Amino acid sequence: MLEKLVNGFESFLFRNRAWVVGIFIFLTLFLGYQASQLKMDAAFIKNIPLHHSYMQTYLKHQKDFGGANSIMVAVEDTSGNIFNANYFDTLKNVHDQLFFIPGVDRAQVKSVFSPSTRFTEVVEDGFAGGPVIPADFSTSVEGLETVRDNIEKAGIVGRLIANDYSAAMVSAQLMDFDPQTGKPLDTIAFAAQLEKELRGKFETDKVKIHIIGFAKMAGDVADGAKGVLLFFVIAILITAVMVYLFSKSLILTILPLVCSLTAVVWQLGLLTVIGFGLDPMSILVPFLVFAIGVSHGVQIINAVRHRVIDGQTTRAAAASAFRSLLVPGGVALLSDTVGFITLLSIDIGIIRELAISASLGVGVIIFTNLILLPLVISFTEIKVNKHAVPTTEEVRSDAIWRFLARFATPKYAVVVIIATVVLYFIGLQQANKMKIGDLQGGAPALHQDSRYNLDTFFITDHFSITTDVMTVIVEAAPEACTYHDVLTQIDEFEWLVRNAPGVESTVSLASVAKKVNAGFNEGNPRWEVLPRTTASLVQAIGQIPTTSGLLNSDCSVMPVYLFMKDHKAETIETVVAKVKTVAAKMDNDKLQFKLASGPVGVMAATNEAVAQAQLPMMLYVYGAVFVLCLISFKSFKATVAVIIPLYVVSTLAQALMTQLDIGLAVSTLPVIALGVGIGVDYGIYILSTMSPKLSEGMPVQQAYYEALVERGSAVIFTGLTLAIGVSTWFFSALKFQMDMGILLTFMFVVNMLGAIIILPALSAVFWRQPK
Amino acid sequence: MPFRILQCVAVFCLGSTFFPSTLSATSSDLLFSQIQPLAASSLILDIANVGNGLVAVGERGHVLVYDGSWQQVATPVSSQLTKVFFINQKLGWAVGHDATILHTQDGGQTWQLQMHSPEIEKPFLDVMFLSENNGIAVGAYGLFYRTSDGGAHWNDEFHEELLAEEDVSYLAELKDSDPSAYLSARTSLLPHFNRVLTLTDGRLLLVGELGLVAVSSDQGKTFARTSFAYDGSMFNAIETQDTVYVMGLRGHVFKADVSLNQWTEIALPVQSSINGVMSAADDTLYLVGNAGIVIKLNKDDSSSIVTRRQGENLVSIAKDKQGDIWLSGSQGLFILKP
Repeated sequence: MLEKLVNGFESFLFRNRAWVVGIFIFLTLFLGYQASQLKMDAAFIKNIPLHHSYMQTYLKHQKDFGGANSIMVAVEDTSGNIFNANYFDTLKNVHDQLFFIPGVDRAQVKSVFSPSTRFTEVVEDGFAGGPVIPADFSTSVEGLETVRDNIEKAGIVGRLIANDYSAAMVSAQLMDFDPQTGKPLDTIAFAAQLEKELRGKFETDKVKIHIIGFAKMAGDVADGAKGVLLFFVIAILITAVMVYLFSKSLILTILPLVCSLTAVVWQLGLLTVIGFGLDPMSILVPFLVFAIGVSHGVQIINAVRHRVIDGQTTRAAAASAFRSLLVPGGVALLSDTVGFITLLSIDIGIIRELAISASLGVGVIIFTNLILLPLVISFTEIKVNKHAVPTTEEVRSDAIWRFLARFATPKYAVVVIIATVVLYFIGLQQANKMKIGDLQGGAPALHQDSRYNLDTFFITDHFSITTDVMTVIVEAAPEACTYHDVLTQIDEFEWLVRNAPGVESTVSLASVAKKVNAGFNEGNPRWEVLPRTTASLVQAIGQIPTTSGLLNSDCSVMPVYLFMKDHKAETIETVVAKVKTVAAKMDNDKLQFKLASGPVGVMAATNEAVAQAQLPMMLYVYGAVFVLCLISFKSFKATVAVIIPLYVVSTLAQALMTQLDIGLAVSTLPVIALGVGIGVDYGIYILSTMSPKLSEGMPVQQAYYEALVERGSAVIFTGLTLAIGVSTWFFSALKFQMDMGILLTFMFVVNMLGAIIILPALSAVFWRQPK
Repeated sequence: MPFRILQCVAVFCLGSTFFPSTLSATSSDLLFSQIQPLAASSLILDIANVGNGLVAVGERGHVLVYDGSWQQVATPVSSQLTKVFFINQKLGWAVGHDATILHTQDGGQTWQLQMHSPEIEKPFLDVMFLSENNGIAVGAYGLFYRTSDGGAHWNDEFHEELLAEEDVSYLAELKDSDPSAYLSARTSLLPHFNRVLTLTDGRLLLVGELGLVAVSSDQGKTFARTSFAYDGSMFNAIETQDTVYVMGLRGHVFKADVSLNQWTEIALPVQSSINGVMSAADDTLYLVGNAGIVIKLNKDDSSSIVTRRQGENLVSIAKDKQGDIWLSGSQGLFILKP
């Protein structure tokens, strides 16, 4: 039935081959134009699991308290002392410049120059105070001395001024939408503007500019991603050489490469058509599409070559290759596609984008490499040496096939299976230790010695603040902050969480109100309490403006800020667990402590989403592969023989992650699904040849040998090509790309080994010869 | 990955059964201080020498005992404790906000509640015992309680003699015309009593808000203001061999001889309020205060800044038996590095 369909399709296509190729050329031109319009695109909102309960809290209060999308600019005086005229002029310029960059929430730009930065001091008859930078500020020696005094009185050392007075901070919150255009903020353009307008204009020998924050990181990641083009070219060249060595024919080298590149063009073009940009996180997809395309192309040219050697004409050989490979190739590619589509189940925008762009890419390979490639080949004349005597190389590879075929004998099969089981359990032990989230400090997407991470380390070393902030949102009734018991509970909560390992310091309305109350009592620390008298409490709270971020306008919402040691997954887990326990104990109908906002709150949600997504994702991807194998082989045994090696290899990949300190994160989560999706190809190609022979009753060893002769070289070649293509990422400027490269290389190579070693061993057991 | 499911499930189950037992406190436990790892670096407001060790008190009902290292001990309150006083190695009292008085009979290891009256809405700011049975606790707005049975009963006293003249006549009027207003006015007209100190000759010295420096020759039954001219608050006082010092707001320090008739101001190099004081060898004083200052004040009135700890307030200072000087304040307890 299926065969009839394929045959009918074949004769239709090959009869109208000129038309079909014409349509392909037209589509390629159209999509090529679309692809040229593709933009890099990185939005903060895509990186967060929007439906996670933490993120619901985050989004609900984002308007009042700003979000997690902040930018910090530390302006350093390289002499180590900021109190000089040149420095203050520069600092003011940086402040003003940042204020005017579109996308910055102007109300939230903070530095010593913002009018809301004030100092207060206690004098005999009450308070005295004013802005830290007085209205009559001058950069004279006296003027700077006044500012220095005010800075100390304002208590901003560590926050807006470095602890050692070597730098000052200008910070801002970003808006999700550009207020002028109403469009989502172009993060990458914004980052480029920061680089140009701040660092470009103001960095000198004397003044260094350190910039951190999501937008800057995304910009740096995008810059790093541009280097990917070079890797792409290198990968194409390596692949071309490999294909030539494999095919010994220029035409058979060029055609699969061209068809694979066509697939890439289609994929990029389709992204534009459906209105997507290319996220730096998805930049690997074109690589994958190209590599997968080549691997299927190689199967086609391998089949064509075999048939031409057998004496067929090129056209007949192409048609026959098309017929025999459309189904296994199609199933393999469908498994890949389904593997990627399972990623849609993860509630994180960029992973979904990756899922869509990768499944599009793999889907188009069915057209470009399984249909277009044989059609194009049919126009050519392939010449192969038709010596009856096998070449030395063929003899050598035949020896390899005979060696490998032994794995399909019961004796070797037992050894292989025992070794596999041992390896699996060792791997499992390691895999269970796999960590969730980012394991390093700084921005995990970038290398530790990147400018961005060096800037991060400068800021964390010189200031008492970091971007590693998690905010617990306290929700209560309107005017809640005028009640002593409400603030007491917030104060208690803050103190208990402050005691969690990993929390460096905390701040909330309650703790600030206590300090203000001491201020109202002559600055006497013995009055650092929440006054029981409502009038005194209101007086203290009244001093704290909503711009402080400690309360909203009717003080029904009061965040507690937790400044954390770092954002490693373990630290986050500890603190989140502590917050949950304390909150569970203290929550009541008047007052709820809700996770979470702030950059670390987002990370906590992401880590949880990733951890939760892992299992369903694996179930879906394996389920899909299982169903597709079952359909194509119509054999349960065959399906299991394909899936077991895959499963062992994914476990080993997780063990590798533990060994290499690679955490399960937004960037590495898809790798496992991709690895399984692509890894299944090898098994499908080999078993689809073996399966009919086995059902005819051929012994396993013989069936496997014949499968190897027909497709073995293509399978091994494919594994190596894919691996070499992704292994170039090892040199990427982006840490996450390096991690993905390592993992994918591992998965491609080891899955290939699994298909030619474990699969035959399992087959030997499953299709045991009756003695 | 089925094995990961098992693992996840196990962790989750462990998590949900584990957490409630580690923190089984309910909101009523807010009445008690909680033992927490960071108690020694929370706001600590007083340190007292007890036998060979030290006892420190601070926010959230924290009490810590030092014997080579600081250990937090349990107390039955979570109110801020402002002062601690020991009459001997065993018997001591700690006072604080919500009109709290705690008592220990074992050198600070265990504490019992003697008084806790949040409804008064006033803190005690100092406590002092003349003997094992007779003690005085003073605080905000003229809060003044006395015991003659070691704290089993505390009775309040109203020190009308320390009222300003215009307030005396105002109260007298009110007493006749509006008795309830009289009672409420009485609770807020007196200045804060910040420190009460026994002088070697047996007199009591009381210092407080609005330039209050008063002396009593009858164990505190009546006080008389001395001729003290500055009208800022005094937070602390100390007596050396022949001199009495009082100190307080914005770096103001005054001294007088034991007659307490003539106060002279000592100029300090800072304008930060002085909270704590300790006398060292040769009657040298160490003063600690806001903005993290530690000042050495010599007998000849010369002074020098020993250290200045940015961004924190220092409240108390004490020397342990090893000779280490301990400071306390908004960052908790730590040793003064020479």
